[in-house]
Amino acid sequence: MPDTIELNSISHHFDTLSERIELFHGLSYTIRADETLAIIGPSGAGKSSLLSIAAGLEIPADGDVRFTIDGVAVDALTMRANSGFIFQQFHLMPELDAIGNLALPLRLKGNRHAFDIAATWLDKVGLKDRARHRPHQLSGGEQQRIAVARAFVTGPRFIFADEPTGNLDVHTSESVAALMFDCARETRCGLVIVTHSHAMAKRADTVLLLDSGQLKAAA
Amino acid sequence: MSRLQLMLENSWRDLRSGDGRISMATQTALLFFLLTLTLTGASIQRYLSDNLDQMLGSDLVVETHSPLTERDEATFRSIATGLSVTQLTDITLTHKDEWARVQLKLVDDAYPMQGDLQIGDTPVATQRAVGRGPKIGDIWIDSRLAIKLRTNVGDILTIGGADLRLGAILFHEPDRIMEGHSVAMRAMVHAESLAATSISSSKGRLRYLATADERQQQAIATWARQALPGASVIRKFGGQHPLASFWQRTENFLGLASVILFFMGAVALDMTNRRWLAKMRYRLAIYASFGTRSRTAMLMALGEWLAGFLLSIAFASALAILAYALIVAELQAYFPGLRAAWHVAPALKTIGLFFLLLLALQVPSFVQLSRASLLSLIRNPGEGRHVWQRLFWNIAAVTLLAAAYSDNWLLTGMTLTAIAAALALMAALTWAVIRLGDAWGRRRAGLLPFAFFMMRQRLFAKSAQVMGLGLCGLLLLFSLMLMRDLGTMMESHGRSHDGNLMIAEAQSDQIDAIRHWAAATGSSIRALRPFVSAQLVSVNGKALADMDKPSDTLATLKDPIRLSWTDAMPENNRLVGGTWWSAGTDKWRQISAEPEVMTDMGLAYGDTLSYQIGGARHDFMLVASHAYRPGAGSITFWFQVPLSARPQIDAPTRYMGSMELSEPAWKALAALWQQHPTLSLVPLQELTERFDRTLGIVTKVTAGYAAMVLLLALFVLAASVSGFSADDRQKNGLLMSMGLRERDCLRLNLCDWSVTALIAAVGAIAGTWSAGLLIYRDQFDLTYSPDMLWVATIILAMVGAVCFVGYLACRQNLKVSVRDLMAT
Repeated sequence: MPDTIELNSISHHFDTLSERIELFHGLSYTIRADETLAIIGPSGAGKSSLLSIAAGLEIPADGDVRFTIDGVAVDALTMRANSGFIFQQFHLMPELDAIGNLALPLRLKGNRHAFDIAATWLDKVGLKDRARHRPHQLSGGEQQRIAVARAFVTGPRFIFADEPTGNLDVHTSESVAALMFDCARETRCGLVIVTHSHAMAKRADTVLLLDSGQLKAAA
Repeated sequence: MSRLQLMLENSWRDLRSGDGRISMATQTALLFFLLTLTLTGASIQRYLSDNLDQMLGSDLVVETHSPLTERDEATFRSIATGLSVTQLTDITLTHKDEWARVQLKLVDDAYPMQGDLQIGDTPVATQRAVGRGPKIGDIWIDSRLAIKLRTNVGDILTIGGADLRLGAILFHEPDRIMEGHSVAMRAMVHAESLAATSISSSKGRLRYLATADERQQQAIATWARQALPGASVIRKFGGQHPLASFWQRTENFLGLASVILFFMGAVALDMTNRRWLAKMRYRLAIYASFGTRSRTAMLMALGEWLAGFLLSIAFASALAILAYALIVAELQAYFPGLRAAWHVAPALKTIGLFFLLLLALQVPSFVQLSRASLLSLIRNPGEGRHVWQRLFWNIAAVTLLAAAYSDNWLLTGMTLTAIAAALALMAALTWAVIRLGDAWGRRRAGLLPFAFFMMRQRLFAKSAQVMGLGLCGLLLLFSLMLMRDLGTMMESHGRSHDGNLMIAEAQSDQIDAIRHWAAATGSSIRALRPFVSAQLVSVNGKALADMDKPSDTLATLKDPIRLSWTDAMPENNRLVGGTWWSAGTDKWRQISAEPEVMTDMGLAYGDTLSYQIGGARHDFMLVASHAYRPGAGSITFWFQVPLSARPQIDAPTRYMGSMELSEPAWKALAALWQQHPTLSLVPLQELTERFDRTLGIVTKVTAGYAAMVLLLALFVLAASVSGFSADDRQKNGLLMSMGLRERDCLRLNLCDWSVTALIAAVGAIAGTWSAGLLIYRDQFDLTYSPDMLWVATIILAMVGAVCFVGYLACRQNLKVSVRDLMAT
C-alpha cells in the first residue's frame, strides 16, 4: 500500500492588519508516494501554503490532513522525518563544501558511511570534481543539483519542491527538472512541486491548477 | 558518533568566524577574571584556616575592649585549663628625638600559652626561641621599630615616666594571627612594668588566651556570648579567623566590579548572539528540511554552544592559573607563607555560576531557536522583535551575579538604576532622533536625509547597537571617572584637615598638657570635639555577632566607635531625615546616625541601639540621620546623642581635633609623648604617607581593573561592527548597484556611525551624570562636579573611535564587488 497524504476539505487564509485574505476553501486531494505532482497557478494563489500544509509544516485553518506511511496513520512530525525539501534559493550551508552539504542529512541520521554515499550521489549528479567547492564557488545550476541530491540522499517517502527552478535559466532549469523527476522515479519517492513553469509541470504524472481558491486538474 | 562529530565541526567553524572569536574572547576574559578572583580568594581562605590552627598561641582567645570584672575572670579561669591576660594599646614610643606610633602589648607571666617567642640581640641577629615574655623592667621591640628609633639592646626607653631597658629584638609572637594584616610596629613589656602608668586608650584591647579542650572551648564560647557582650571569641575548633570577614568583604567589593565587567561582556555577547542566532535559525531550518526532529536539532545547537564554552574554560583556566601565580607572589608581602595551590571545588563553583549566567543570556536565543521553522526557508518571514525579552534576561543574569557577590545593596542598586535610566534614555533618544531625522529629511535630498531613512528602516537593530555602545561607554566612563576622582580625593584628603597635626585621640587630663605645650611652642589648637568610646552590641535586641552578612560598617561597629554629644546640629553636618532633638531636652535616650550606616545596617527610625559604654549598657532610640557637609572642619561622628546624655554615661571623655604646629614645635613633640605616650597625634605628613601607601595599592588594583574594562569595551566595539557588518555590506551593495560611488557610500556610513556614536555618547554622559549624582555623595562622600573639558574630550574620543572603526569596516566592505555584496 503506497504512502499517502490526504487533504480533506482544507481551507486556509491569513490576516493582515486591515483584512483577511482567503487563499482556498474546501480543497480535497490525496497525494500518493508513487506519483509526481505539480501544482501551478498565479502568484498569490496560495500554492506555497498548500505545499506547507501537505508537508505538515502548517495546520490548515479548516479541514484535516492525514498522513499514512506503510499503511499506518502517522503524525506530521513522523511525516516530516520521512520527507525532503528543495527550495528556490537552494539553501546550501555556506560554510560546508559540496560533499559536506550532501553528507549532512546522512550524518544527522547517524549514518557512518555518509561521505561514501554522498560521493556516489555527487557522481550521479555530475559534480564529482566539485566535491571540495563551497556553494559560493558553484553556479546556480550546480548548487541546485546538489540541493536535489541532498533531498534524495536519505531515501525519503516524499519530496516537496517550492519553485525549484525559479532562479535558473531555461536550459539549466531543464536539466535540474530532469534530474529531479529521474531521481523521484528511480527511488519511487512522491514528488510534489510548486512551479510557474508549465514545461516542468508537464513532466509530472498529475498537474493541478490552484486558482481563485479552487484546485482543478490542469489541461 | 556522526552527530557528535558534526556538532564539534560546526562549533569549531563557528568559533573561527569573526563573531565566534569575539564571543570566545569575551567569555574567556570574563571567566579569567572570575576564576583568578576565586583561586586567589580560596588560597587566602585556606591560608587563614591553616593559620588559625598554628598561630593562635592558645586554644582559644577572648578579646574585649574593657577588662573583665573579677567575677567574670574567675568564672573564665574556672572553665579554662589555663589563662593568660594580655593588653594591647597604641602609644607613641620615643628615643632621643625619634618617635614612632607603636602597638604595645602588656603580657603576664603565663604568656604565651602555646608556642614560643622568637627574639634576638640585633635586628639582623640569629633568632632564638624563648618560652616567656620580657621580665619586669624590660621592653622588647620589633626590628623595624629598633631601626626607626635608632636604638640598641641595652638602651633605656621611657614610657609615661617609667624607664625600661631594651632587652631584646622581637621577631615573632605565637599569637601573631590576632594582629591580622596589621603592619603596625610592635613592642612588648611585662604588665607590672607599667603598673603605675596610665596607658589606656579608647582603642585598647584585652586578650584572654586560654588553654581548653573542645568541650571547654564550647562552654567558654557559650558563657562569653551571654556574659560578655561585645567580646569576640576565636577558637581553634570551629572558629573563624579574624581576617576571614575582612577578606570576604574585599571579595564582595571585587564582586561588584565583576558585575560591571559582566554587564559589558553581556553587551558584547548579545551583539554577537544576534548573528549567531540568525545563523543557527538558518541551520536548524535546513536540518528540519532533512526531517531532523527539532529536539535533536536543539540538542545539537546546545551542544555546539557548550563546546565553545568548554574551550573558553580551557583558555580562561590557563590564563587564570598564570595570573593567580603572579598575584599570590605579590600578596606574599601581606600574607607571609601564602601559597598557590589547586582549589578545584571553588573553581568549579565559579565555572558553574558563570555557566548559569551565560545560559541566562542565551535563553532568549534558544527560545527563538526553538521556534525556528522550515517555513522561514519558504516564506522568509521577519525575525520578530525580541529586544525586551533579551533585555529582561540580561538584567536577570546581572542581578544573579550581583546577588551572588555584592554585599552593598545600596551601591549595587544605584549602579543598576543608573544603567537602567541610561538605557531608557538612549532608547528614547534613538527613536526620537531617527524618527525626527526621517521626518525632516523626507522632502530633502542629500546623504544625511537618506542616512536617516535607512536608519529608520532598521530602527530596532539601530536601537540595540546604540544601547550596546552607550552602555559600554557609560561603564567605561564611570569606572575611569570614579577611579580618577577617588585618587584625587585620597590625595587631597590629608590636606583638607585644618592644621598640620591631627589629634586622633586625647584624654581629658591630656588636653591641659596639650594647651600648655601649644602655648609654650607657639602652636594653636584649631578644633576639639569630645567623645566617649562606645561599642554597639545589639540592634532591637539582636546581637551584632549574630548578623552574618559582612560589610565595612558592620566590621567597624564590632569594635568600639566614638560617640559624641551635641544639642545643636554641628556646622559641618546637615539633617538628612528624622527629627533632631531640641536643645536641653531631658529625653536623653535619642541618637542620630549617618545615612550610610543606617543603610548598611538596615536601621530605621525608632530602632533601639544598645551600646556597651564603660562597663554599662545604654539603649538609645534612633530618631534622626545626619550627614557630613564640607566647609566647616573635617571632624564628624557616625553617631551623636543629646548633650543631656553625657551625665548619664559613666565613661572617660576623650577628644579628637586638630592643631597647627609652628616649625620649631615639631622637635618638641617627643617630650610631650614621653609624658603622655597614649596621646595619639598624627602629623599631616605621616597621614599623607599613609594615604600614599594606600593609594599605591588602590592604583595597582584599579589599573588592572581599568585594563579589563578597556579590553571589554574593545570587544563591544568589535562586536558592534562585526554584528552589523552583514547588514552594512548588503546596504552598500544595494547603494552601489544604484550608481552611488564608493566615496558616497563611505560618507553615508560615516553619517550613520556619527549619529549612532553621538546618541550613545549622550546616553553614556547622561548615565554617568545620574550615577555620579546618585553614588558620589552617598557612597564616597564626594561632591559630583564633572570636569566639562574632560567630559567633552571623552565624548570626542568615543565618537571618533566608533566612527573610525566604522569607517575601516565600511572600507573593508566596499572592497568586495557589487555581485559579491548582493550575494550575501
